Amino acid sequence: MSGQTGEKVIFAILGVPMLICILIFLWILSLLLTGIGTVRWELFTMSALRGGMLEMIVGTIYLLLGAAAVAGPIGVLAAIYLVEYAPSGGLTRIIDQAINNLAGVPSIVIGLFGYTFFCRHLGLGVSLAAGWLTLALMMLPIVIRGSEEALRMVPASFREAALALGATRWKAISSTILPAAAPGVVTSVILGMARVAGETAAILFTSCVLITRGLPKTPFEPVMALSYNLFVQIVALGAPAQRVFGITLVLFMIVTSLSLSAILLRSYYRLRQPWLRMKG
Amino acid sequence: MVNDAKVDIRNLNVWFGDNHVLKDVSFKIREKAVTAIMGPSGCGKTTLIRAINRMNELICGCRTSGEVYINGHNIYDGNINVYELRRKVGMVFQKPNPFPKSIYENVAFGPRIHKMANGREIDEIVERSLREAALWDEVKDRLQDSAFNLSGGQQQRLCIARALAVKPEIILMDEPCSALDPAATTKIEALIRRLSKRYTVIIVTHNLQQAARVSDFTAFLYEGRLIEYSDTKSVFENPRSELTKNYIAGKFG
Amino acid sequence: METRSFKKGLPKLFMHLRSQPIEFVLFLCASFSVVILLLMLLFVVMEGSLAFTRLGTQLILGQMWKTNSDLYGGFPLIYGSLMVVSGALLISIPLGICTSIFIAEILPFQLRDPIKSVIELLASIPSVIYGFIGVTFLAPLIASIFGLQSGATAFTASLILAIMVLPTIVGVSGETISAVPIEYKEAALALGASKWQTIRNVILPLSKSGMLASVMLGFGRAIGETVAVLMVAGNVAMVPTPPWNYLAPVYPVTAVIAMQMGEAAVGSLEYSALFGLGLILFIITFAVNTIADVIVRRRPVGRSVQL
Repeated sequence: MSGQTGEKVIFAILGVPMLICILIFLWILSLLLTGIGTVRWELFTMSALRGGMLEMIVGTIYLLLGAAAVAGPIGVLAAIYLVEYAPSGGLTRIIDQAINNLAGVPSIVIGLFGYTFFCRHLGLGVSLAAGWLTLALMMLPIVIRGSEEALRMVPASFREAALALGATRWKAISSTILPAAAPGVVTSVILGMARVAGETAAILFTSCVLITRGLPKTPFEPVMALSYNLFVQIVALGAPAQRVFGITLVLFMIVTSLSLSAILLRSYYRLRQPWLRMKG
Repeated sequence: MVNDAKVDIRNLNVWFGDNHVLKDVSFKIREKAVTAIMGPSGCGKTTLIRAINRMNELICGCRTSGEVYINGHNIYDGNINVYELRRKVGMVFQKPNPFPKSIYENVAFGPRIHKMANGREIDEIVERSLREAALWDEVKDRLQDSAFNLSGGQQQRLCIARALAVKPEIILMDEPCSALDPAATTKIEALIRRLSKRYTVIIVTHNLQQAARVSDFTAFLYEGRLIEYSDTKSVFENPRSELTKNYIAGKFG
Repeated sequence: METRSFKKGLPKLFMHLRSQPIEFVLFLCASFSVVILLLMLLFVVMEGSLAFTRLGTQLILGQMWKTNSDLYGGFPLIYGSLMVVSGALLISIPLGICTSIFIAEILPFQLRDPIKSVIELLASIPSVIYGFIGVTFLAPLIASIFGLQSGATAFTASLILAIMVLPTIVGVSGETISAVPIEYKEAALALGASKWQTIRNVILPLSKSGMLASVMLGFGRAIGETVAVLMVAGNVAMVPTPPWNYLAPVYPVTAVIAMQMGEAAVGSLEYSALFGLGLILFIITFAVNTIADVIVRRRPVGRSVQL
């Protein structure tokens, strides 16, 4: 009996750290939500030239969509290669390792590389396009890993059934496997977007400026972004909390709604697709 | 039919979520004998023996009603110590599952966690258990080897030795030979016969011949219900139920 | 032997790929990550070359970082980074490992997924928001608790960073715990082991290496974190006195790069020194990630029988 009491004490001790994690989350949430009353909502649709944040919101969305358009296709195709074609051996191991290493490169180093390679050597300058490419590098590992997982979950019987009907390998992949894995692939792209939506260090020198005259008309112009503005307002201009609260809140909402929708989408399609339920 | 009951199961019902797996199962299991539980796959055999050491409750969404008496105590009573219960009711699984440790450490695991012995005494328990499981002669010179270096049949006997080391009274076996070749199966079956002199053995099998060879009593389970339960000879030679007759004749399985 | 088959395999692979255009395109996409990593190394080394030739080991060992006097000694910066990161890991390792064990083994089944989602959300909060919270709420708190003039200290940065790497540690070590085959757990429980005995004697020994990997990945994330750290670390390029004084400001490597890159003239020694610092970060994180990968790959958990 005393053993069981001892066990309860140990479990309680192990449970405290988890409670701390949840309290931290609630604390952050409450900090952000208490400020909601001080936010002037009309600023959302007002131009930055008149103190609003329209260009920052649209600029962030431009950056996100462009980065997803670059990293999405490359990532999905890379995942298809790794799951369906890659021979096991040295080269595949190197590719696999490189993806993990790319995921681990600090965003500031990606920013440095983006500046020297995309802005200077490719001649894009500080621009939206350079931001797309730089952020795409950060999204890529997430998209590849997520799509790989989704592809691996498609039962082998699907593939064999298509091949047995005389489909070529690519035909079998594009007609049966990819559609079955599509929700998981989309989830991985959304997760990638959530990861870079608030990214600051990588776009610090590659694509952002504090203020622009209206929205960029071509991809070769610089943009405004929520994260960058928040950063500069606090660090360089020492802006008081009240003034930047609106930016913080919008950024937080964009990021959490992206990751929440990824989480919900994932649990939804796990329920919907019966062959996934077996895997627990 | 069974008077000196070691295990007495009364109105046992088990659900997994909405799935009613065991329906009103009642029977008594005799001490120091081998009782086989047979039936087609999915009939609830495994759930039934896992109800005897309360392993079902480790699975998400499991509910149990009814009573299981061991030595006259209902193991589903609130004040039962489930760890002590599982020490008394050993279990051997379908696939040999030795820990990724040495042969010695596998057998010593149970006595250590129950603080049954220390130092020298553990050595004695390990040797006694391995002898009882008919493995001692094969491994006595390499007790510190990894358990994974043993063959499948040896691994399964190691798992039996591991279960014996905590001095159980009942041994549950969940299709212990299904992953083994015929030669290893023969050895395990002989071992089961020998163990029944000292322990109450309950074995789940979907192999009819195995049930006929090793058991004193046989229960036939079908779709969660107990269809027939008697001494093995009469179940096989003179089944009362039409279902049992058809199952033994191989008409379904 | 591996390299030999690799060398022989490479031309054969290309021949094969040329006859299969779709496969070739897929292969190119997959090798994109390798190409980018090589380009990254190449360009960072190229831009840093001036600093390596002019400063040599001074870039790592030099005691003074003063842009005005053209002095670029990276020691105080590297020291600052390591100080902040070790502080953060000291907090987040015990918290993270306990949390992952609790979620995977003790928490009721129904609560596991919701709690995991909360941790995942915690991971997705951008570092600039953590920085904002650090500046507006945490730093004033620290300042008033310890009676400091400014709450921007190594300790504040450690705290914020600890929160930021927590999800990495919880996630990766939780995965390795769930990867322990259920057969081992059942074997222990069927012998009458209690839940805690099963965790201590069976699950923990088998997930030790994965936990180590989670710590390494956490270290990699922490040392590369920029914006949040920059906003609360105080940014004074000096080793604190005494060196273990966590209530002093520090200037981590990442913060220096972010703050000074904008003003450094392209091609100047300062510009090159910043890339040199970037290369150091690149090498550290590359090494840490590779080691973590190797640890995860050679898992001791084997299957008991080959069927």
